[in-house]
Amino acid sequence: MPAFLNFNCSKTIDCKQGAVRAVRYNVDGSYCLSCGSDKKIKLWNPVSGLLLKTYGGHADEVTDVAGSCDSSYIVSSSLDKSIIYWDVATGAPVRRLRSHAGGVRCVCFNEDSSIAISGGRDNAIMCWDIRTRRLDPVQVMKDAKDCITAVLTNDHKIFASSLDGCVRHYDIRVGELTCDEVGQPITYLAQTKDEQCLLVGCQDNTLRLLDCESGGLLSEYKGHQSADYHIECGILADDAHLVSGSSDGDAYVWDLLETKVLQRIRISDNGGVLHSLATHPKRQEMLFARRRDMYVFSTDLQIEEEQL
Amino acid sequence: MDEENHLHRFGTPLEPLEKDEVPAKKPLAIEDQIVKDENGKRRFHGAFTGGFSAGFWNTVGSLEGWTPQNFKSSRGEKASKVQQRPEDFMDNEDLGEFGIAPQGIRTRDDFSKESEQEQRTGQRKRKLMQPQVAGPIPGVPVLEQLLRPVRDKVAVRILKSMGWKPGQGVGPRQTRKEKRLAMARNKREQYLLDHYGNEGLPSSTKQQHSEDAADDEDNDDEDEDEDEDITFAPDDYEPMFYTPKENRFGMSYSGLSRAPVLSKSSTTAAPMQHINLFGQMDTAAKQKPFSIRGQAFGVGAFEEEDEDIYAKDDMTRYDFSLADKQPQQKKAQYVQQRHVIDGFSEDKSNITHNKPFVIDLPRDFKPRNWLQRRSRFTPLDAERARKIAEADYKKAGLGRHDLNPEQRAQLLGESQVKKNPFKTTNSVSTQEQQERSKSLLELISAKSNNFTKGGLITTAGEELPATTVAPVELSKELQESNAALQAQAASKTKNLASSQPSSGFKPFLADEAKQQRYEKFLAANLKDDKEITEFLAELQPVTLSLWDREMEKKEFMQASKIYRPLAGLMLDRFVSEATVQEGNAKQEVQPEEKLKIVMKRTKAMWKPSALLCKRYNIAEPFGGALPEVENTLKGKAKMSIFDYLETSVNTKANFQTPTIIPKHIELPKQHQGQQQREQVTLPTSKPAPTAPVEEAEVKAPLESASSTATNPTFVSKTPLEHAVDAARDKPISEKIDLFKSIFDDSDEETEAPAVAQGQPPELERDAKIREMQAALGLPCTTATSAAAVNLLRNNSPPRGLFAALFKPPEEMVKPTEPAPTKFAPIPGNKLKIAYKSREERLRNDRELAMAEVPQEDLYGPKLPSQLKPTEVQAEASIDAKLQQLWQEHAPKKRKAEQWVERTLSSSEDSDEDSTDSSSDDSDVKAKKSKSKKSSSKKSKKSKQKSKKKSKKGEKSKHKSKKKKSKH
Repeated sequence: MPAFLNFNCSKTIDCKQGAVRAVRYNVDGSYCLSCGSDKKIKLWNPVSGLLLKTYGGHADEVTDVAGSCDSSYIVSSSLDKSIIYWDVATGAPVRRLRSHAGGVRCVCFNEDSSIAISGGRDNAIMCWDIRTRRLDPVQVMKDAKDCITAVLTNDHKIFASSLDGCVRHYDIRVGELTCDEVGQPITYLAQTKDEQCLLVGCQDNTLRLLDCESGGLLSEYKGHQSADYHIECGILADDAHLVSGSSDGDAYVWDLLETKVLQRIRISDNGGVLHSLATHPKRQEMLFARRRDMYVFSTDLQIEEEQL
Repeated sequence: MDEENHLHRFGTPLEPLEKDEVPAKKPLAIEDQIVKDENGKRRFHGAFTGGFSAGFWNTVGSLEGWTPQNFKSSRGEKASKVQQRPEDFMDNEDLGEFGIAPQGIRTRDDFSKESEQEQRTGQRKRKLMQPQVAGPIPGVPVLEQLLRPVRDKVAVRILKSMGWKPGQGVGPRQTRKEKRLAMARNKREQYLLDHYGNEGLPSSTKQQHSEDAADDEDNDDEDEDEDEDITFAPDDYEPMFYTPKENRFGMSYSGLSRAPVLSKSSTTAAPMQHINLFGQMDTAAKQKPFSIRGQAFGVGAFEEEDEDIYAKDDMTRYDFSLADKQPQQKKAQYVQQRHVIDGFSEDKSNITHNKPFVIDLPRDFKPRNWLQRRSRFTPLDAERARKIAEADYKKAGLGRHDLNPEQRAQLLGESQVKKNPFKTTNSVSTQEQQERSKSLLELISAKSNNFTKGGLITTAGEELPATTVAPVELSKELQESNAALQAQAASKTKNLASSQPSSGFKPFLADEAKQQRYEKFLAANLKDDKEITEFLAELQPVTLSLWDREMEKKEFMQASKIYRPLAGLMLDRFVSEATVQEGNAKQEVQPEEKLKIVMKRTKAMWKPSALLCKRYNIAEPFGGALPEVENTLKGKAKMSIFDYLETSVNTKANFQTPTIIPKHIELPKQHQGQQQREQVTLPTSKPAPTAPVEEAEVKAPLESASSTATNPTFVSKTPLEHAVDAARDKPISEKIDLFKSIFDDSDEETEAPAVAQGQPPELERDAKIREMQAALGLPCTTATSAAAVNLLRNNSPPRGLFAALFKPPEEMVKPTEPAPTKFAPIPGNKLKIAYKSREERLRNDRELAMAEVPQEDLYGPKLPSQLKPTEVQAEASIDAKLQQLWQEHAPKKRKAEQWVERTLSSSEDSDEDSTDSSSDDSDVKAKKSKSKKSSSKKSKKSKQKSKKKSKKGEKSKHKSKKKKSKH
């Protein structure tokens, strides 16, 4: 196991789109997307900090965004209860999907980006067929008792975390809904690369690692403050480290196995909540969103490797 | 190298010179610098050929140079002489900013400010006050005079108003002689001014003046004959001004003229600079215009001006007189005036300043500055502001805290009935203390009321320091009793909230006795209704009627509820902050106790949609055979406004039947139904109870199917409600059953009896039917004929025209309609129910609904009592069941019976019509022709039924025909 290298800020980008609601990498981590409270989505080059495109069309704050596997489309969710499917190159909204009865909190693509899955404040998870021009969801799952905070999917399962303290696995292959009740409101959900574990960010200042197979609680990670925020968490590319934002404006990096804080990344001294983050799919690199800024953090080694 | 390392460097080093590089040029000398114009051409060149370039390389204005002027003249249009101006010969450059005749747009002098004008022209506006130093013409320039602004100056206007005319001088009118003298003097002065400038010699002028005077004497003699009385206005002349000498040059020396190039003054200034020895030549030279003059020509930009070599002087400009006739005294005067500012003269008239005028003010006069408050926004003076604020404060009632309770009470108009409850207890305890009851309890309790900061006030009133009281031995027993006392006090104060309003709110002020009663009522604080009645009965005067008493009681109870003090009303809505905080603290403590997270895993079947599986490239689990768990989306793929509408329609409240059914109606339903059969003619009888009976039958299957476990509280509801209740959670598709049951009653009627029999009332009824069958001699089965039941309905002998109808006694035991009830349906009629058209059915339902609605809930005019369809429905429900039985068991009888009926009724048609209620007249008449042969007993039925009947009539017609043919 490689030694942990501290993360350093490699870029600070002022997104100029109001408070940044979420930051996400595209599929290979070469670009990143930021969702602003000014109803716009911006596409950036995280290395140079270059603004590549701005996508405007939502009627309310954009809450989440996801890029398709070929990076030619973007799907975004907004509090205006709609999901927009964007063309990356033209910046035009290809499709606007409305069926949620409340603001949409999270959205993701499936592996081949043929299905977009969204979860909203209406407690519903909706699967949208992107391939066809169908404007109504393919399937609606209304099992959650509270807002859906995060949706994930792999090749045969859909995971959804809800504020009702449950993680629901919709196994398409088996046709089974598995509900793992944590008991604490869950604000975010991440999956390890091996698809064996789920990392859930709970409202009680704890990250929990759940076993997908058995539903058991593997370990707990503490140290950060989640307060009343939707603090996001992530698993770094090496699958050995976890990261979470915090309401005190810092980011915490844990060792997955030893459950101890390896680094407390102090981003700024002047407050702000570090609520959204994204981990690079390949490198030891992270994106943070705090207030109006987006920060790119990486271990120096990685960058050097990249340059060589 | 080492040395260099030790050196400190300051500043930025110059770029090192390279060997091949030529060193940078020296900075250009001023001479070498070239001034360029806007076209990038050199501006100054050829000092002796013009000094500066004109236009495009001296081609004036354009590249081509001058374009020759067009000259066109014809016989008709003679070319006028073109006046050429200097500008015609100038090019743009000359007119520009740096040119010789700069031009620009500026305000006219008339409009420009004085200072502006001054700035621009560089000279004072009041030129009259300034002697003209370098003008060719002395005095006001001619041009200026010519171009005088239209508007006269104020001074001129004043002068004019005083009789002055332009051209005249100012001053007292003069005689001819005087005028002449003045003229001569002026002339001289003018000359001096011309030649010596304003630096003229006062002495010389004086001298000249005296000379003038001497000259004038000669003329005097000539004009002596002239009248002294005739006076003339003085001549206008330029007054002589003197400018102080500021330099140490010789007298009238002005040095070289600095007049600008081409200025006219240079010509005139010239004589002053050079001595013209030849006076004659000067005059000659003046006549002859010089072609080239001054420095204008040939002087370059950077060259000094040449001396004015052409300037001339002549001897006339020199003063040759040597005599100094200036008196000594004058000089003294001049010296005396030296400390007077130049341009001013000392005032000789020694005027003593008057004492300023003083007004005698009244003693109590107080000056007031009216401008003290310029606008209403400026702050008032302090005292006034305070007064106003005070008044406002009181008006707004904010000053109430300054008042003591008595004053407040007075303001509010309250009579101080109640004293402070604490005070009363206080007095009580004083008495007790006087009694010297040994126990300290009362003392303590009293003290607890009189708690003060420092210590406790004893009941006697003096304050005890806390230290003396604190050690008061509070044994356990004491404390307990203390607590009990406090609890008592608390209960008392609790009552206070409700009892106190009597002082505050007086709802019955108009009636004083009543108010008093009310207060007593409040004080009694009774809860039980009976108690209150008794209590009030004692208070109320005997004169009050029973009804009034009752009313009063109600009023009081209402009032006591309504007129509660706000404190009392709000008391239960608020909690003190302390308790809230306490609660918060508790809550904060709780979560610290670590909650052990116990993972719970639940599994359920979930059917992924086919498309989802397809997109995930996964085969549908169980081949898509999984039961659809979630069909919420079925049928409503899109959000529709109607979804919401539907839910609102399906709420319980919307389906509540307006009938008021007592809860205990469930059991005696049947009895009531029977009773009602007897009460046919009773118009006030409520139709409501009958409806449920019918509905119970109709909905029975549905009810049993859908609501297996009905909530006991729902018992009182109508079956329809049950159905709705059960169906509420179902999707629309399943609700079809419900709608069917509501709108399509007849379909289920056939199956109704089977289920209905399971119910006790149904059984009861069936038993009765069986009884009747026995009575009628019919085979005693569950199946009975409708006719048999019909018999049940009315046992009374036929009346009216029916009496005539049923007179023939030879009639066998026919199950016909023996009852004269207008609504009794014939069995034949009942038979057809099953074949009713949908419209009819609906109509029927509407009638039913009408029947359900109590009389009070109906709109519109009251229906005639005879028309009430209640009985029909009541019968219909039974008949519906019986009809089936009839079909099964007595087909033959039916035929016979029908036939009989028809024959009977056919003859009685007209009579029957006459008895019909007027409202149905037309209707009946309309179908008269059809129903002539048929039975028309049911003609009393409501209009809606008519169609159905007519159908039946037709059917029965056929049958009767058949029968007739049989016969």
